[in-house]
Amino acid sequence: MRLTYTSEVEAFRAEFSAWLDANLPDPASTTVRPRSSGDIPAWAREFQRRMFDDGWLVPGYPPEFGGRNASLYEQAVYWEELGRRRVTQSFNPQGLGIVSASIITFGTEEQKHRWAVPIMRAERTAALGMSEPGAGSDLAGLSTRAVPDGDRFIVNGQKVWTSGAHHADVLLAFVRTDPDVPKHKGISALIIETDTPGLERRPFQDITARQPDFNEVFFDDVEVPVENLVGELNDGWRVCTGSLAHEREMLWILWSQGLDQMLDAMLSQLNDGAGAGAADDPVVLDGLGSSIMDSWSLRLLGQRQLARSQRGLHVADQSLLKLLGSEAQQKLALLMLESLGPAALDRTVPEGAQSPYESDRSALSWADRYWFTFAGTISGGTSEIHRNIIAERVLGQPRG
Amino acid sequence: MEFELTDDQLELQRAVRDVLDAEAPPELARAVADGQSDAAGFWQTLVDLEWPAMALPESAGGLGYGWVELAIVLEELGRHAAPGPFMSTVTQFAPLIAEAAGPGQAAELLAPVAAGRTTGTIAVDEGAGTWDPAEVSATGRRSGDDLVLEGTKHYVLDGATADETAVAVRIEGELRVVLVPGSSVQAVAGIPVDPGVRHATITLDGVRVPAVRLLGEGDASDALRRALEESVTAVAAVTLGACQRIFDIINAYAKERIQFGVPIGSFQAVKHKLANMYRDIERARVLVYYSALTLAEDHPDRTPAASMAKAAAGEAQRRCVQDGLQLAGGIGYTWEHDLHLFLRRAKVGELHFGSASHHRRKVARLALQSSAA
Repeated sequence: MRLTYTSEVEAFRAEFSAWLDANLPDPASTTVRPRSSGDIPAWAREFQRRMFDDGWLVPGYPPEFGGRNASLYEQAVYWEELGRRRVTQSFNPQGLGIVSASIITFGTEEQKHRWAVPIMRAERTAALGMSEPGAGSDLAGLSTRAVPDGDRFIVNGQKVWTSGAHHADVLLAFVRTDPDVPKHKGISALIIETDTPGLERRPFQDITARQPDFNEVFFDDVEVPVENLVGELNDGWRVCTGSLAHEREMLWILWSQGLDQMLDAMLSQLNDGAGAGAADDPVVLDGLGSSIMDSWSLRLLGQRQLARSQRGLHVADQSLLKLLGSEAQQKLALLMLESLGPAALDRTVPEGAQSPYESDRSALSWADRYWFTFAGTISGGTSEIHRNIIAERVLGQPRG
Repeated sequence: MEFELTDDQLELQRAVRDVLDAEAPPELARAVADGQSDAAGFWQTLVDLEWPAMALPESAGGLGYGWVELAIVLEELGRHAAPGPFMSTVTQFAPLIAEAAGPGQAAELLAPVAAGRTTGTIAVDEGAGTWDPAEVSATGRRSGDDLVLEGTKHYVLDGATADETAVAVRIEGELRVVLVPGSSVQAVAGIPVDPGVRHATITLDGVRVPAVRLLGEGDASDALRRALEESVTAVAAVTLGACQRIFDIINAYAKERIQFGVPIGSFQAVKHKLANMYRDIERARVLVYYSALTLAEDHPDRTPAASMAKAAAGEAQRRCVQDGLQLAGGIGYTWEHDLHLFLRRAKVGELHFGSASHHRRKVARLALQSSAA
C-alpha cells in the first residue's frame, strides 16, 4: 500500500498535461455551445479529432482507435487531469463511451472502421436506444421488434429517454429478434441511422426544464441492413451488458469528480458566508463532514478496484461505486439546499461556475443540481436495482 | 497510489486471523462477559507471539512493523471481540510515550512494553468525551523533586488494571504528560457495556510522583494530538472488525433462515439492508486503511484522515448494530447467541474517543479552513 503513483505513471500524466497545454482550444473559440448530448460544436469536433489522432482520446485503446495502449493507472491519471482542468472527454459521451466502445468490443473490423471510428473522431454522433416505456429497470423486457426480411430487418416499436437522439446521426438500438425464447436470449443490437424513413424523434425536457436532451424514438417499418447487426443474432444482451460495463473500472472517477466539484463549490460558498452562518451550524458541519468522507471513500474504493484489476483479480464493486457516488451527490446537493434555505430560491447560476470545455449542464443552481442528481440514482440501474445486485452477486443472497 | 494490501500484508492478515480463531474464539469473549475469565492467558499468548512488540520501534526492542500492519491486527482483534490490554497498551500508551518522551527516555520506557512486561494506558479526557488536548484542566505542580497532581480523568481504558498511566496535565501553563504508576491512582470502574473493554475514572487528588516521570520537554499538545490520531485510528480499526463480524453472521443467517418457505435473504427488504451494511463497512474500511497509511508515511493528511476513519467506523457500527440486530430477529436478542459480543464491541467503538458526529464536524472545519487558505 502506498499513497503515490509510480514515476512512470507521473511521467504519463506530465506528457498528457503538456499536450493539453498545447492543444486546448482558445476559450474565445468556444462560444458556440452544444445543444444536447448528441450535438458537438465544430470547435469541439476539431479538438476531439485531435485527441483521437494523437492517441489521447481513449488512451487504453491501440493507436488505430485513438489510444496508446495505456495501463490502468495511466488511464486513471488521464481522467484525473481531464477532471482537474474540467475538460470533458467528449460532448457526445454516450456515443464515445458506450456506442463506439460496444462496436469496438463486439463489432466486425468493417463495423469498427465504418461506425466506431467516425464517432470517435467526432465526424458523426450517436445515441443509445435501450429503455422503452415498458422496459426500464427490467431492460431485458424490451419489446421493439426487428423481423429479418432478406438482407434487412424491419423494425417497429418505441424507445424512450434516448439522450441526444434528435441531434445524433446513428442509434445503437437493442431490439427483440426472437419473441419465443426467454427474454434475455431473443435480443439483438442494431446500428440504425437516424435519417432512415419511418424513424421519428420527439425531444422532451427533463425536470430541470433545460433545452431538451431526452427523446422518444418511434420506429414504423424502419428498414435496417443486416450488416448493421452488432454481435451475433439474438446475442444482444451480451452486447448490452458489455456496453454498460465498458470502462467500468473508470466510471467511478466521473462520480468522484462530480462530487468533488460540488464539494469545492459548497466549501467556497460557505466560506463566503452563504446560508447566513451555515458554516458555523453544527448540523451543517456534521453533514458536510459526511460528504467529505463520501468523496474520500469513493476515491479510495475506486483506487482499490484499480489495484485489484491491475493484479488480475475479479472486480465486483461497480455497483457499490455507482450507488455510493450517485447517492453521495444527492446527499450533498440536498445538504447545500437546506443550508442555503431561502438563498436557494433563486436559480441564477453564479458567473464563472462553468468551464468552456464541459457540458453546460455542469453549471447549475443548487436546486437544479439537486433535481439533476436523480438522473444519477435512476439511470444506469436505479439505486434499488444496484442494491439487489450487490446483495445477490457480491453477498451471495438468493434471487427473489 | 496502490491502494490494496500487499501479498505480505495479506499473508499477515491470514496468520493473525488463524491465531485469533484459535486463541480468541467467541467462548473467550463470552467467558469474560460472564465474569469467568480475566483473559490473562490470552494476553500471555499475545506476549509470547511478540504482538505487543510488533509496531514498536526497533530502538525499543520492537519489531518495527508499520501502521498498516498494525491496522490489520486491530481489525482482526475487533473481528474476534478479543479482550485484553492490547488497545490501551499498544495504541494509546506506546504512541504517547513515543511522541511525548525524548528518544532515550522513550526507548527505555517502551522496552518493557515491547517485552510484554508492562501494560499502560492514557488519561486525557475529563468528561467532555472529545479527548481534546485543549480541554485538559488537571494540573501538576512541582514540590521538591516531586510532582503533585490534581484532577479527575474519565474513560481511562484499562484504567483500573494498567501498570502505568500516562496522564495529561497542565504544569506552569504548559500541557505535559506524566507517568503515574497504576498503584498510585484511585480508579473506579463502572459496569462496562462491553466487558472486554473496561474503562475507569481515576482520581489524582494529591498523587505524588518523582519529577523524572515527566515526559520530554516543553508543551506536549502537539505530541498528544499526534498520539491521539493513532489511538483514534486504532479504535476505528477495531470497530471496523466488529462490524465485519456482525455482517458475516447476518449475511450467512439470511441465506439459512427459512420463512414463508424461502431464505429471508431473498426478500428485498432484507437485501437492501445487507447492501447498506456492506456499503458502510467498505466505506469505513478504505478510510481506516487510508488513515493507517497516512500514519505510516507521516503524511500531512493524517489529522483529517484519523477523524474520517473514526467517523466512518462510527457510521458503519450504527448501521450494522441497528440492522444486524433487527435482521437476526429473536435469536439475536438472546444472551446465548454470540451476536451481542460483537454488537457490544462495535457500539463501544462509537462511544469513546469522540463520536462520529464530533469527528465529522472536525473534518468539515478542517476542510473549510483549507478551502479558505
